[in-house]
Amino acid sequence: MTRMKSKWLILFIVFGLILTACGGGSDDAAEEEVVTEETAEELDSPATTAAAAEPVADPPSICLVLDIGGLGDLSFNDLAYSGYQKAIEDFGMVGTFLEPDGGGENRGELLELCAEAGNDLIIGNGFLFDGAMNEVAPNYPDINFAITDGVAEPSNVRGMLFKHAEGSYLAGIAAALKTKTNNVGFIGGVDFPLIHEFEQGFLAGVAEINPDIVVQIGYASVPPDFSGFNDPVKGKEIALAQYEAGADIIYHAAGGTGTGMFEAAKEVSEATGSKVWGIGVDFDQYYQVGTPLPDLQEYILSSMVKAADVSIYNAAKATVEGTFSGGASVDDLSTGGVYLSFSGGYIDDIKDTIEEYQAKIISGEIVPPSVRP
Amino acid sequence: MIKNIYSFILKRYVVITPLLLVLIVAQREEYSQLTTSGTFGSAIRLAIPIMLAGLGGLFSEKTGVVNIGLEGMMIMGTWFGAWGGFTYGAWQGVFIGMLGGALFGFIHAIATVSFQVDHIVSGVAINILAAGVARFLNVISFEDIAYASSTASPRITGEIGKMTVPFLAGGPINDEETFNLFGNIENLDIFLISDFAGFILGFLSNISYLTIFALAIVPFSLFILWHTPIGLQMRSVGEYPTGSESLGVNVYLMKYIGVTISGALSGLAGAYLVIGGTGIYLEGQTGGRGFIGLASMLFGNYKPFGILMGSGLFGFADALQLRSPQAVHGLLIVISIFLFVLVLKTLFEKKYTQSLISLLFSGAFLIWFLNSTTIPNQFVYFTPHITTLIVLSFANQRIKLPEKIGVPYKKGELT
Repeated sequence: MTRMKSKWLILFIVFGLILTACGGGSDDAAEEEVVTEETAEELDSPATTAAAAEPVADPPSICLVLDIGGLGDLSFNDLAYSGYQKAIEDFGMVGTFLEPDGGGENRGELLELCAEAGNDLIIGNGFLFDGAMNEVAPNYPDINFAITDGVAEPSNVRGMLFKHAEGSYLAGIAAALKTKTNNVGFIGGVDFPLIHEFEQGFLAGVAEINPDIVVQIGYASVPPDFSGFNDPVKGKEIALAQYEAGADIIYHAAGGTGTGMFEAAKEVSEATGSKVWGIGVDFDQYYQVGTPLPDLQEYILSSMVKAADVSIYNAAKATVEGTFSGGASVDDLSTGGVYLSFSGGYIDDIKDTIEEYQAKIISGEIVPPSVRP
Repeated sequence: MIKNIYSFILKRYVVITPLLLVLIVAQREEYSQLTTSGTFGSAIRLAIPIMLAGLGGLFSEKTGVVNIGLEGMMIMGTWFGAWGGFTYGAWQGVFIGMLGGALFGFIHAIATVSFQVDHIVSGVAINILAAGVARFLNVISFEDIAYASSTASPRITGEIGKMTVPFLAGGPINDEETFNLFGNIENLDIFLISDFAGFILGFLSNISYLTIFALAIVPFSLFILWHTPIGLQMRSVGEYPTGSESLGVNVYLMKYIGVTISGALSGLAGAYLVIGGTGIYLEGQTGGRGFIGLASMLFGNYKPFGILMGSGLFGFADALQLRSPQAVHGLLIVISIFLFVLVLKTLFEKKYTQSLISLLFSGAFLIWFLNSTTIPNQFVYFTPHITTLIVLSFANQRIKLPEKIGVPYKKGELT
């Protein structure tokens, strides 16, 4: 009897382990319900006010669907949110923003919700929305859709792409010029092609200055588990290992996981007495992370900023003005869609060199690689 | 004496052989991360939440209540820990996180003990409920607070201190550095001794008081459950509730106590994730650690120190894959040789099919090891899960479950 039971128990544990490996999916179904209920209520209000005010022209409306991590990740999602808020203020738009459940399986449903509520512009924040866009957008040809970091087939979807490799190349230049140990690190959130753009650009930039510099590379998770963008505990452990192994500057492309890296930078600096640095991503993290967590600010060397907020703002502007067009739109160093920030003044002394390389990239003299060889 | 040692080795070969192999493999430069103090320190930090959840499971299952709601109770711990930490301070946050977990443990007890709901059903419900409740609470509590959102809390106030032991690990006394005994031994690179020093150093250097508190719970649990009258009563209701009741034990009360303690410990596990980590609650932060805790409890065969070892193993594998994917490659040869040991053992016992299967796998791992220098990232990432799975499948044969586990008990029942 006991043997039988223990067999079942073990079977159950194994099943639990598999679930865990897949990113703890067991909770998602329930969460989904909670989210949809919440969001359905949120959505009701703009829809009903629009109906009540029918004689007056409807104000343009925008709906932003964030990705895993949600608001408050101090990175990718907060960035999109700031662009969305600016659009609401400047164009008097009615805004709705939604957050997916923990696993992000309900992206399609959230887009559908936005579309049914009659929004004029719907933004899916993140390349993971491409599948959902392909399904939802064709059913609503009069609505403008936009997706960050990805492209989708329907003609009413604008794909907002960024040349991450170009900005990361400059981050690599800065790290290589600033390192004292000839050892730097890179932390990626999830090991897949989008993050490889950051990695490859960074590697090329470092090698350009000094090919002998060691670059340690670490990732927090692999697909289909995207929790690596939202796991500061892992970010901290990876960073601690890289700092211990001699790195004095680490560049992260890992969303919320990066906060753990800055935390590690502070811990190592205080413990060893020699200062180590982190380079931020997406936002100008000197302010983005440094304002809510002021004790980390002095360890943020620079940030590879990606102006997704501007792209979202521009999409909203085009929608209001009626000039919206689908298809891919690419932002790079030349358009200011990506750039390296100088906040904090820690890399002011190498500004000339960085600008020199920036000019070379813009002129096409240097083309940073964006895929793994 | 020698015979004793021999039988000990035979009994524990599952643990001893891989350990020895790891030590040997770690002598190679590229696999040296296998036994550094940094890896062990990291392993401890990653293992503690799992260990606490495992101990939580122990208290519940010893009283006969299956608790797969550990994950949910842990989620409550993360949120209440962050909320308490933000509102009152770090240590208060730890305590409030425990209360939050205990609350959900209590709910599980009401359902399973008083209403005789199927334990699995109730546990699943707890997990589902907790995820929703945490988000709901986060939205309403931090609505107008800067840098919070529906899925993240603001950072906790205050900090849990850290310490490094003076003399042994070079911790400061009155801001003056002291001799670093184990650190120096580790740097000498002597076979076994330096590796062992690294292991000790992981426990002594830069360790949070919260970690010490958590580790102290292991012997404390052992004491409570096996050396106090109430512990005896708790274990008896898991083994033979009818008999216990006939002897005047309040069966319901014992089950309530066990499951509530279970919740409190899981809550502490959650609070540790938040407060020992970056001080911010994030949705989905527990990432299935509650279930791994359950696995570590089975691995540990319902013994506190066994649970410590089980979670330690998982934490070690996790630390390794995060810190040095290179070193994970070294584990291939460890697995290969370990399987070969199994081949010999099964041959000796005349179990020829098992022996053949082990031999095939052993060869496969050996070929893989020889023909590669790195492991694909996908495999590296699953190292902790696979390691636990492999060890569990070898360790499970002697698990002793409480006799009446998962069986609903009605007061006055005569079976």
